[in-house]
Amino acid sequence: MKRLLRYFAVAVALFTTLAPVYWMITISFKREVDQFALPPRWFYFTPTLEHYVDAFVARSFGQYLLSSLIVAICSTAGALVLGTLAAYSLARFRLPRNFDRKLALWILSTRMFPAIVTAVPLFLIMRDLSLVNTRLSLIITYTAFNLPFVVWMMRGFFAEVPRDLEEAAMVDGDSRLGALRRIVLPLVAPGLAATAMFCLIVSWNEFLFALVLTQTDDAMTLPVGIAGRVTQYGIKWGVMSAAAVVAMVPILAFALSVQRYLVRGLSLGAVKG
Amino acid sequence: MDNQQSIRPHPKPLRESVNLSDRTLASLLLAPTVAVLLALTIYPLIYSIKISFQGQDGNWTLENFVRMASDRFFISALAHTFVYAAVALTFEFLIGLALALLLNTHIRGRGLFRALLLLPMMLPAVVVGVVWRLMLNSNFGAVNGTLKSIGVNTDALTWTASPVLAMASVIAADVWQWTPFMFLILLAGLQAIPQEPYEAALIDGSSAWQTFIHVTLPLLKPAILIALLLRTMDLLRVFDQIFILTEGGPGFATETASLYIYRTAFRFSNFGYAAAMSFVLLAVTNIISIGYLRVLQTKEA
Repeated sequence: MKRLLRYFAVAVALFTTLAPVYWMITISFKREVDQFALPPRWFYFTPTLEHYVDAFVARSFGQYLLSSLIVAICSTAGALVLGTLAAYSLARFRLPRNFDRKLALWILSTRMFPAIVTAVPLFLIMRDLSLVNTRLSLIITYTAFNLPFVVWMMRGFFAEVPRDLEEAAMVDGDSRLGALRRIVLPLVAPGLAATAMFCLIVSWNEFLFALVLTQTDDAMTLPVGIAGRVTQYGIKWGVMSAAAVVAMVPILAFALSVQRYLVRGLSLGAVKG
Repeated sequence: MDNQQSIRPHPKPLRESVNLSDRTLASLLLAPTVAVLLALTIYPLIYSIKISFQGQDGNWTLENFVRMASDRFFISALAHTFVYAAVALTFEFLIGLALALLLNTHIRGRGLFRALLLLPMMLPAVVVGVVWRLMLNSNFGAVNGTLKSIGVNTDALTWTASPVLAMASVIAADVWQWTPFMFLILLAGLQAIPQEPYEAALIDGSSAWQTFIHVTLPLLKPAILIALLLRTMDLLRVFDQIFILTEGGPGFATETASLYIYRTAFRFSNFGYAAAMSFVLLAVTNIISIGYLRVLQTKEA
């Protein structure tokens, strides 16, 4: 009896979690007649791809998608390269007067500001540099945004690797950076991959900076493109849902691949860190 | 690159011996990260402090800070933010804790359920906004449509179009998206609790409720405080979902501090005033999180 009750509670939680997303997916495949049908059609409707064609062929959502991909990939790569080097330094070297620990805390603290605090001046700075409405402005911004996270995650992963391994390699004639590349990096590869996924998710999902920094079709990302359609009058619900489904799909793939490392990542980078 | 270092016969633990080339290398590896963070977080902050003390004409003034005290829109935006944060936090914590306790028991398919329950927190805020606009639309939304088809009169349930229900709607969307985060941290906390105290409680003959109050809750306290801290900081700066769902409306009903600051800067181009208000938001967020950290530290000490 108690067991049954538990499964019932889990079922309710699952339904509440999944039904709204399922509903949006059906809207993206429904003709308008079916969208407005009463009672709501959860299962039986004639599927159509018209909204996807409308969004990605007739309208500019293909362009937004491309911008989102470029910005997410470039900023993740940037943050990984810079952040991994910094993390290695913080994990392996001690600087005088505990400077390395103070630096690590300072790096983490830059992540604590509410986004709007940075967004206002950053817009003005980017405007002065003529970088508003370019993908580059977002790549730079997201790189900085992801850096603290990469540093803290990777610092935890590096700390897990025994020093003896690279010191042995160095005794054998490797330089420190050579030992890092050939011995340490392969060992932290799973952690690096998980960190990359988290960065991709954050960059892909980010909204406020994208809204502030990109307002033209050739630079705006998918979230801003969708938001622009939502808040106008005469909303095309099907087009919007189709775009939202496309914005969601890569996240599902990323999220599934992080699943394996989620607890590990949290316990190493966030909880123990 | 640094050959003179690799011929060291047997490096002592680096904690004690930092030779010059190590120190140089350490700094070189850190330099790019520090430079990027200085340029993109510290410089904007200084820039922002500067413009917050300048009027529209560019002269030095305190008017931006003086104005705030009598700006009833800003004060009510702050009030909305607190209401939003407090209500959402309460629901997210209670539901998250219940789910964590539920999935900490022996249930078949636990791994899969956990993965599915985490879905909302991974989604872009924009998608969450779209999802809930589709659910709550008063004409064809799934919520009202379902209610109508079972015979409920939904005329009064205009959700995002009525001031009180609009606040409830944006809070519901937040609870939907972020309860999984609370659940995840609390579940990790539960799984880190050792078995012994429970066995002791069992021997003492405690009831399930007594065990929960006297064993589980105290041991879970650090995880609870961390989860509450992280959520509180996010809730106080909320922007995305509300921007998509209601744009702060109807009227001013769901305008939070971040939205009002955004509007002041990017609709009315009053960057100085927006910067000044953003510092008040920053101060509020910091004071509250320092409060949490105090509690956390006293508990650990």
